[in-house]
This record gives sequence, C-alpha cells and structure tokens, in this order.
Amino acid sequence: MTQLVVQSALSGLLVGGMYGLVALGLALAFGVLNVLNVAHGELVMIGGYAAFFLFSEVGVDPLLSLPLVFVILFIFGMGLYQLLFRFIVRFDIETRIKNSLLISFGLVLILQAVAVFLFTGDDRTIVTGYSSNALVIGIVRIPWIRLAGLLLAVVAAFSLEWLLNRTTFGHSIRATSEDWSLAALTGIDVRRVYMIAFAISAALAGLAGSMVSLGYSVSPSIGLSWTLKALIVIVFAGLGSMRGIVVAGMLLGLIEGLSSVWVGNAYRGVVALVVFLLVLSVRPQGLFGRGSGAHV
Amino acid sequence: MLEVEHLGVGYGDLQVVWDVSFKVPAGSLVAIIGSNGAGKTTTLRALMNLLPALTGSIEFKGESIVGVPTHRIVELGLVLIPESRATFASLSVADNLELGAYTKRARAARSKTLGEVYDVFPRLAERKSQLAGTLSGGERQMLAIGKSLMALPEMLVLDEPSMGLAPIIVEDTFNEIKGIRDRGVSVLMVEQHIEATLELVDYAYVLELGQVVIEGSSTELMTDQRVREAYLSLQ
Amino acid sequence: MFRRSLVWWLLVVAAAVVFGLMTQSERVLTLAIQTFIFGALASSWNILGGFAGQVSLGHAAFFGIGALVTRELWLDGRPLAVAVAIALVATAVAASVVGVPMLRLRGIYFAVGTLALGVGVWLTAGNLWPGISSLPVDALRGYEFTGPYFMALGVVTVTVALSIWLRRSKMGLGMMAVREDEEAAAATGVNALAYKMMAFVISAVLAALAGAAFAYFSVSYYPQFPFSVVWTFEAITVVFVGGVGTIIGPLVGAAFFVTGRDVLSSTFPELQVIAFGVLFILVVLVLPGGFVEGGERLHERISRRRTSQHQQATPDATPDATARESVKMEGKEKV
Repeated sequence: MTQLVVQSALSGLLVGGMYGLVALGLALAFGVLNVLNVAHGELVMIGGYAAFFLFSEVGVDPLLSLPLVFVILFIFGMGLYQLLFRFIVRFDIETRIKNSLLISFGLVLILQAVAVFLFTGDDRTIVTGYSSNALVIGIVRIPWIRLAGLLLAVVAAFSLEWLLNRTTFGHSIRATSEDWSLAALTGIDVRRVYMIAFAISAALAGLAGSMVSLGYSVSPSIGLSWTLKALIVIVFAGLGSMRGIVVAGMLLGLIEGLSSVWVGNAYRGVVALVVFLLVLSVRPQGLFGRGSGAHV
Repeated sequence: MLEVEHLGVGYGDLQVVWDVSFKVPAGSLVAIIGSNGAGKTTTLRALMNLLPALTGSIEFKGESIVGVPTHRIVELGLVLIPESRATFASLSVADNLELGAYTKRARAARSKTLGEVYDVFPRLAERKSQLAGTLSGGERQMLAIGKSLMALPEMLVLDEPSMGLAPIIVEDTFNEIKGIRDRGVSVLMVEQHIEATLELVDYAYVLELGQVVIEGSSTELMTDQRVREAYLSLQ
Repeated sequence: MFRRSLVWWLLVVAAAVVFGLMTQSERVLTLAIQTFIFGALASSWNILGGFAGQVSLGHAAFFGIGALVTRELWLDGRPLAVAVAIALVATAVAASVVGVPMLRLRGIYFAVGTLALGVGVWLTAGNLWPGISSLPVDALRGYEFTGPYFMALGVVTVTVALSIWLRRSKMGLGMMAVREDEEAAAATGVNALAYKMMAFVISAVLAALAGAAFAYFSVSYYPQFPFSVVWTFEAITVVFVGGVGTIIGPLVGAAFFVTGRDVLSSTFPELQVIAFGVLFILVVLVLPGGFVEGGERLHERISRRRTSQHQQATPDATPDATARESVKMEGKEKV
C-alpha cells in the first residue's frame, strides 16, 4: 500500500510539473497582455507534434530538439500576435480579455481541425531508446522522461524569473504589464514587448508539448484539458505570482495522484477540483498571491 | 521647440479639446493653466500620441509628431511626466531610474546620468532598492522627475507636478523645474496652482473648456483683470 | 416605445409558431430548434454575465442538470412537465447552495472558480452515468419534431420575456449597478451579494430549462455531454458575438452560430470547422462590440448621414485607450 501511495504521489508530482509549465506560459500572456488565450493548450499540442515529427521524420532526439521546438513555437506565437492579437490590444482591459477569449476560441476550432486533418486523430507518443528507463529509489520508480519534464518546468520557471527580474528587457515587460501607457512614456515599444511576451508564452507551451509527447501522448484533442488545467493552476497559485505557478501545478498533480489511490482514476480530477475550490474559498488570492484576491 | 496649432482631441464621441494652439520656444518655461475638466491632461496625452489628435498639427523640433508612436516621441527628446502613476510601483527606485534610460540615446549615457540624478536627489540614492510603491508622495514625485531626466529629454512636460503634494515640497519641486530649465531643457507644465506657476514661468496659456482663452507672458497675466478675478480670487 | 417593441416580439413569436406548423423540412426544423436552445442558453448566461457582469465559466453545469433530471425522469415514465418542473427546482436549489461560496469571488477568480465547478460536475456526471441515453424504440419510430420545436420555442420565449422584464425591473437595475461598479453600488445601499445571487439563480434555472428542451429534443446522447465546458464556451461566444447585455444579442448570435455552422458544413464538408473558425475570428475583429452594436452603428450612419464619429488609432500607433478607460482614469483597471 505504501508503495502505491508513494508511487501515485510521485507520478502526480511529475505530471504536476507539466501543469505548471503550461500554466507559466498562459500566465505570462495573461499577466503582460491581459489576453486570455484559450488556444494555449492547442499550442502545447502543436509543440508535441513538432517534437514528434522532428523525431520520427528527421531523427532528432526530443530532448535535443527542445531548443528547436522553442524557436518554432516562438515564431508561430509572433505570427499569431501579428495576425490576430495585435488588433485587440488597443482596447481597454475588459474588452481585451473578452475579445481575446473569443478570438482564441476561433483559434481552438481552427488549430484542432487542422491537426486532425494533417495528423489524424490518433494518439502519438515519442518512443526513444531510453523511454522505458527509470530512476529507481527504493520502492518507487521514476521514469526519466517524465522527470525530465519536471526538471524542464523548474528550469523554465527560474529562467523566466531571471529574465523578468534581472534584465532590462524583463523590466520593460514588467513595466508594460503594470502600466502600458507609462511604459510607452518611458520609451518602451509596447507593441514589441507584447509580441515578444506572447511569443515566449507560445514557446513555453511548445516546450511543454515536447515533453508531453515524450512522457505521455499527444493527439489533436488534448488542447482544451491542458488549457483548463493551466487556468486552474494560475488561480490556485495566485495572480501576480510567477514563482508559485510551478509549485502550484505540482501541488495540484500531487493531490490528484494521492486521491487516485482512494477514489480511483475516475474521481482523482474531481477531488483535486474540490480541494482547489476549498483553498480558494479560504484564501481567495490563491496560495502565493499578493493582495486581497477578489474577496468580498 | 514645440508648436501646436488648432489641436482637437476627443474620446470616441466626446470632443474635449477644440482648436488649441500654443508654442514652447526652445529654452523657455511655459505653462498651461486651467481648472479641472479644461482639457489639460487630454492635450498632453494627445501630444504624446496616447490619444489620437482629431485635428490640428503638432511639431516638435520642426517635424510633425502626429501619429508617431509614443516611444519614438520619447526617443526624439519629448518626455511627459503624467499627473499620477508616474512611476512603476512594482519596481525598485533603481530599476525605475534605469528603465527611464530605455531609449537608445539615453542608454548610452545611462550610468553617467544615473550618477547625476543621484547627486541631485540624494534621497533617491538612499532608497535605491526600495519599491517605488512604498515611497512617500514627495519621494515618488522626485523619482518621477529623476526617471524622466534619465531619458535625456530636450523638452520636459509635466502634468500638474504640484498635485497632492505638501506646500513645501511644491516649492522644492518648482525650484527643481526651474533648475531643469536652466540646464537647457525646455519645459511645459500644466497646472491648477496658478499663482505660484505664474511666478515661475515665462509665458502661459489659460485653457477653459478645451480652448485657449487668454495667453501672455507671466507678468501680463498676473496683471490681467480677467485672470485675477477668475483664477487668483482677487479684484 | 415599449409597447411597440412588445408588439414586435409577439409578432416574431407568432411567426415562429406559424413557421413551426407549416414547415416540413426536418433539417430546417432541427436548425430552428438548435437556434432556440442555443438562444435560450446564451440568454440565460447573459443575465448573469451581461446584466450582472459576473462571468461564469461553469454555466454548462446547470444546463446539464436540467437535461439530466428531465431526461431521467421523463424516460422513467413521468410526464414531461413534471420532469421539467422537478429539474428546475433541483437546479434552483443547487444554484442557491453553490452560489453563496462562489459569489464571494470576483473577476477571474469567479470565472475560474465556476470553471472548476463546471468541470468537476462534468467529470462526476460522466462517472455516474456512463452509458448512453437513448429514446426507447417506439419513441424513436414515432419521433416528431413538432413537440421539441414548440417546447424549444416556449423555452426561448420564456427566457427572453424574463430577460426583458428583468432589464426594466428594479432587480435588473440593481444587477447592472453591481456590474458597473460593485463598490460604488454597495456604498449607495445596494445589496450587491443579493443581486448577484438573484442573477446567479435565475440564470441557472433558465439554463436548466434550455437543458430540458435539449433532453426532449435529442434522440440519443451521453448524459455527460450537456455538462461539457464546450457548451459554456459556445454560449459565451454566442452572447458576445451577438452583443452582450442586450436582449436580441444572444438570439442573433445563436442564429449566426447555428446557421453558419450548417451552411459551412454543406459548402466545405472537409474544412467546415476551419472555415467556421476563420469566419468567427473575422466577425470578432470587424465587430468587436458584437452584431447588435454593429447594427446600431450602421443604423446611426444611415440615419444621420455623416462620417463616423468613432476614432480608431492607426494600427501602428501605440495602444490607446477607448472612451471608457480614459474617462475612468483612476479606476480599477488592472486585474
């Protein structure tokens, strides 16, 4: 029994790291541009397919292709911004959120349909020579490919932290997200900041997708559930807290994993959501959020 | 330095500024005076292209800046300090100042300018790592001015620099503004604090309901009957 | 003025009744029923999201409960009316219970909180009722569109009538006051929580009513299906595309949504979803305020015959503020 509990907990932590990584990208887009991109999960899916085909057609190992996938999704993100989201940043925040929700909904339809058309609806998983290798510690077995996902999430979080806090460009991103008109008055090209922030957000999704197709599987329909998870993780962590996002993701995964021991796979998701709602009712600003949250 | 002619600005359906014209000659200190709702802030925002100008022309250093992206206008040397929220509360004092020198031109001289700003405002040097949001009103004003100086402005525009400050700090601020002008930066300030402003500036325009109603040198205005009655509460 | 628009509405309903009696085409009837159900669902969301300004992402939970309870009781032998009544009561209770903790949250917290709720209910429904729900064989053989048509028409009429009444009532004013500025409303003595609760429960019950219509209309589906978050997203998009906060908005949006998808499925069978996505995005970009606002602007342009008053920044200018943001300059902007 102990073995089951610990193993489930660990599996949960590992997938939770992925939740955190996906949430990180979405939080960046939302925090900086006030754009709610519900097609974020589809970007994860695209990253997954990119890694898959780089492996199956070109033979590039998925861990080595990570930088390439980052670049591909970065460019794709820039394209999406220029083509679509650029037009809604001229509105005030409320309208932005509303219109980005709508536009990205259309995007979900398009991207999913294109994926089905190009790749068929089958599940794909990257199987490498080391896919079945695992780190064995006592009674638990930690698959390397999933551990890699968690490590990537942690590295991404720290890198993002570093970018935002220690570089001038990162400061310009934070400035823009705090007050874009003051940022413009400070000489910052707000449009460019928006574009790059959005591109980074897409690239992070792509990285997550890579690891998903390596450690789990990818199919055209996975997008929505990743987006939903990401939204919940973001609020769970608390708005305004990049740091806590990966932690919150891991925590959510942990809760899912542990609860699966007692309520089975069918209800693990429900338990996690219930815990999430309970935490939110006691601490409306999220686990690590600053400020009052939105508590009446 | 700055020439604005027949400027008209609106928000959607609502026109707030009608046919406003004013000039800021190089090296001078000019004020636009008016009470609340006169259209002062709107005019300034249109200057920086935060709002589109419906009609009229805006020329800075001889070139039109209508429709030019805001950050480009800053790069050209025209810097606005907005009335409130002129600093980034979530960034430290040092980060705010560094960010102030964001444009290419300013960045090259960043460390030198930073040293100068700290010399002029030692209090900011003391609070280098403090978050701007935790500063007092007067300190934040100092930071706003320091940040704008980091951008190496050729002309500085201030929106109600005295707003919300204690009288003694207002005096310091006005002296500081005078100092900035004396160092060669043209200054345009928008104010409600009329008496003190008139004592400070060379020339002023009175704005009422989106139009310039009176203009003249500060001495002229101080002795103008209409100004005295309406704004200086004197007979 | 109101009398006149009331007459218009009655004419529309009458026309719909006549239409239902005259039309034989199954396809047209299906489209009409789908439009009514979507219109009702969207209108119900509009009461909470449009009037009271609380964006709920868990709306499908109530649509699902309405469908589930109606379907189970009705297929079990109860008269439809009874089944629907019980479904509505159950939903009212559920919404009242859930509303209290949920409405303490605001903005994106409320949105994601209701989302979590909706997804949780969807998962649970899928677990408890995994098997498909199909009409019994004799009902299938004798399936007629008339019943579902008039039920759906009835549902959307009730929903719209309630919306119209609400909009003009004191309750509606209270809701809109809360939407504009909750703190300010509370400061003037408006019980914000009470109004939000009323909007929440009313909107939930109406969603359940739409769900009941769905249950009566659908031949076979998985009970989990109406709980899917996709219904929520589709309802929200219908509302915004049509015009949030208006009465006809959700209806216009529903009509566009349903017929658009159908037209595209026959024109571009392979790429219909892609074509719809593209069309959808274009609509949002061209008419950010929705069809109703677009229609109003067109009307203004025609009747006043002057160039548009609305200034837009050039695409290369820095992001600028619209009237609302600038006018409430010091206000609560940042989330």
